Amino acid sequence: MSGKYTPKGPVGRVVHGLEETAIAVILGLMTMLTFVNVIMRYAFNSSIIWSLEVVLVLFTWLVLFGVSYAFKVTAHLGVDAITNMLPRGPRKVVALLAGAICVFYALLLCKGAWDQWAPFADLPPTTGHWFPTGLDTAARGRSFFETDQIPMPDWLRFLEDWINYGEHYSKLPRVVPYTILPVAAALILFRICQAVRRVWNDESESLIVSHEAEDAIEDVAAMNRGD
Amino acid sequence: SCEDGEMVIKFSHVTNTDKHPKGIAASLLQQRINDEMNGKACMEVFPNSTLYTDEQVIEAMLRGDVQLAAPSLSLFESITKSYRLFDLPFMFKNINAVDAFQASETGQAMLDAMQRRGLQGLGFWHNGMKQFSANKPLLEPSDAQGLKFRVQPSDVLVAQMNALGASPQPMAFAEVYGALQTGVVDGQENTWSNIYGQKFFEVQDGVTETNHGIIDYLVVASVDWLDSMDAETRDQFLTILHEVTTERNAEVGKVDLEARQAILDAGGVIRELTAEQRQDWVDVMKPVWTQFEEEVGAENIAAAQEINAAN
Amino acid sequence: MEVVLLFVLIVGLLLIGVPIAVALGFSSIFFQLAFSETSLASVAQSLYLAMAGHYTLLAIPFFVLASSFMSTGGVAKRIIRFAIACVGHLQGGLAIAGVLACMMFAALSGSSPATVVAIGSIVIAAMRQVGYTKDFAAGVICNAGTLGILIPPSIVMVVYASATDVSVGRMFLAGVFPGLLAGVMLMVTIYVIARIKNMPKGEWLGWGEVSASFRDAVWGLLLIVIIMGGIYGHPWIRFDEGLSLIYWRGGAFTPTEAAAVAAVYAFFVASFIYRDMGPLAATEEGGLPLPLYRKPLAIFTAFFHKDTQATLFEGGKLTITLMFIIANALLLKHVLTDEQIPQHIATAMLSAGFGAVMFLVIVNVILLIGGQFMEPSGLIVIVAPLVFPIAIQLGIDPIHLGIIMVVNMEIGMITPPVGLNLFVTSGVAGMSMMRVVKAALPFLAVLFVFLIMITYIPIISTFLPNSIMGPEIITN
Ligand code: NA
Ligand code: NA
Repeated sequence: MSGKYTPKGPVGRVVHGLEETAIAVILGLMTMLTFVNVIMRYAFNSSIIWSLEVVLVLFTWLVLFGVSYAFKVTAHLGVDAITNMLPRGPRKVVALLAGAICVFYALLLCKGAWDQWAPFADLPPTTGHWFPTGLDTAARGRSFFETDQIPMPDWLRFLEDWINYGEHYSKLPRVVPYTILPVAAALILFRICQAVRRVWNDESESLIVSHEAEDAIEDVAAMNRGD
Repeated sequence: SCEDGEMVIKFSHVTNTDKHPKGIAASLLQQRINDEMNGKACMEVFPNSTLYTDEQVIEAMLRGDVQLAAPSLSLFESITKSYRLFDLPFMFKNINAVDAFQASETGQAMLDAMQRRGLQGLGFWHNGMKQFSANKPLLEPSDAQGLKFRVQPSDVLVAQMNALGASPQPMAFAEVYGALQTGVVDGQENTWSNIYGQKFFEVQDGVTETNHGIIDYLVVASVDWLDSMDAETRDQFLTILHEVTTERNAEVGKVDLEARQAILDAGGVIRELTAEQRQDWVDVMKPVWTQFEEEVGAENIAAAQEINAAN
Repeated sequence: MEVVLLFVLIVGLLLIGVPIAVALGFSSIFFQLAFSETSLASVAQSLYLAMAGHYTLLAIPFFVLASSFMSTGGVAKRIIRFAIACVGHLQGGLAIAGVLACMMFAALSGSSPATVVAIGSIVIAAMRQVGYTKDFAAGVICNAGTLGILIPPSIVMVVYASATDVSVGRMFLAGVFPGLLAGVMLMVTIYVIARIKNMPKGEWLGWGEVSASFRDAVWGLLLIVIIMGGIYGHPWIRFDEGLSLIYWRGGAFTPTEAAAVAAVYAFFVASFIYRDMGPLAATEEGGLPLPLYRKPLAIFTAFFHKDTQATLFEGGKLTITLMFIIANALLLKHVLTDEQIPQHIATAMLSAGFGAVMFLVIVNVILLIGGQFMEPSGLIVIVAPLVFPIAIQLGIDPIHLGIIMVVNMEIGMITPPVGLNLFVTSGVAGMSMMRVVKAALPFLAVLFVFLIMITYIPIISTFLPNSIMGPEIITN
């Protein structure tokens, strides 16, 4: 079906490595932060007040960022029972149709992500219900919004002048965690387009796998070959 | 549901519709608006966080996706620090003092604190005065020393617990009952109706009647939405809202007493403090005020204390 | 009605091979744009808050990670050895041991496919070696693997708890008896079939082997104690004088935190005790792992070792695909709420005079059909908010409803045409889907009987949580 994804060229390999490392590191950080907080409370009766919120932000980053990666390596789950029964030609047509839906989905996501993020960065969101018809320069900025408990690191103080009209941030502004939205949406669009191109060039047959353990099974299937 | 031509007012909140003080007030507001403004406006209420959670709703309101909400005051921390006044321990001795302060000039001015951010406070809705509960008797402030208390994640409440020598623990509301029961945290602070509604008293040694703080909600709408209404509609809407606010706030004391009695009826333990004991708690926690005096405004604290003394 | 259109659109998109997450998300967004004023920005915010605003769902990445460490870290094979030592000598013993091993692994892992892969890959091969047919072996494991989501911890229970605001701790307790019951029912069925068909039995290896294999597996099994004792409390030693030495100490962590602790513990066992992975692992096939004193730096390097990184990555990837579905299912939930669909359905059902029994039949049917198209967690996110308010009005216990839904998910995983465990088993066993379906059929019948028992005997689910945590509170 999907087969293992192999990155092409030196840039492809570096990017692939970076993506996989990012996923591993974010999950590792989430786990350690939560674990350390449990130990702090149980053994020392104290707590890191911001750790819960940071873990939730990392969780969000992990998933939103990772979705584009999963499109790249064809890891998203889907139902292939029907498409597998189709002959080659129609199967490709249907896969391209599914691809078009995905591209459309990603485009809508891009507009939504921008509109949600932009006011927090003191930038104008777009106008239009579903199709961006222009920039809404009259929209109120929301750059003053802060996270609940995450401390403001000093090296980000430049944001006060850049987007907050010189006003002081006592906590990390929300624009920082929200930045994953436009970044992830753009990456998702890019990876979906690549995936559709692979279907078009007959390099792959679909955008989905039928179950979550496909990789794990490849490793063990050899043990049970034959009757 | 709404007819064509009616202005749709979506009200999103996070409690039930018929037992929680906020839910009751929202239901009453809905009923009155749909009766009295029929043809002009129509209100849809989305309870139980079904549309937005309190964390989401303020952003959604600024985008225009929802028109009315009543988050707890601590949710506005990231927009204005002035509402921290209501979190400061022992600022008000009872709900009447809170009421009187909010009705005063200083209190009414606080409704406008977020105007420049595009939000307009329309009125304060009470939940009630906060009490402490824990898995051991709390009579002296020293009883709380070393205990782990679940608090809402707010700087004031963290400082308050630190002043007691207790350890503040942030925790999702949904996990609090289980955590109190198994002992992951030792205690919490809440109003009578929350302690009864969430059955916290069942898994605690007892509740101490400290009345050390308040939980209040701010009914809020966006400035842009209010501006978009014609004056007559807006006046009618605000009049109804104010009448509902007054009516329900007057009932809160009763709702609180009922919840308090229900806890006793269900076998819960409630401990009252003597005047001296209460003063000990005040002495330990009041230094927190100075920490936040600058953000909250010394003149606001003074105004609150003047009214507090008169009540 | 527009909602029918919505569901037709979703099923249509699924059938042409659109990823489940996109099918749910695209349909919901399309519907919102067409029939309401809601903005695309609100969609983006909802996707963001699917993670940031659902604290309980955090348990998913952590349980997935713990499960990955235990699969790669050699816990599975030690559990199987212990299971064989215990029941391998019975008629059909290896198959019974397979079920027992699945039950034990289920108590460590939150997902069913993970259980099938971890136990199935080893047990199916072993069963064939001693003369079982491949079909019988696959059928047994395919069914027993579904216990992964019924015996706590369970990802599906976490999702249900998050969708309905019931306590995760309560749900976990509620799964204990049903999980044991289902396991025993499967084992008894195997034993009866084995007696009739005169299937092979292993040798009794003596109490020595039982205790040796237990000592070997105990580090993995200890995790059950850590999770349950950590959540619900445990005996502890008091060091202050003058009081009794042993006392009951309260819980150390919430169920979500328990998942993170489980992941860290599994990492330590895999890297430093079993040493099947990480810097201390044997360098050649069949070699012995290094002791820590020979390579003390491993204390630090283990955290950054490529095996650790690979396991973290695998856990992360699975989390991403699951959460992408859940996040988009939450978009659909938002649409359904916005249109007040649950209220309409509730009114229709109540006015049609359906009682609790009829209602539960309908729920079972909806879930069995929905299970054909959907990943279990995503399905729960959509269905739970629809049926929960009705169940409460009909006086059905929310915890009981949760267990019913989980058991339905189990059955959905092993019924054609689409079933997660069928796919995984067919992959692990190297058999065609249809052959696995046939092989799983006799045991599927057992699970059906079990579903009926669970549905109409609530006390099986509610006894343990109610006696430990008191009766369920309904505040809404
Ligand atoms: Na499990
Ligand atoms: Na199925």
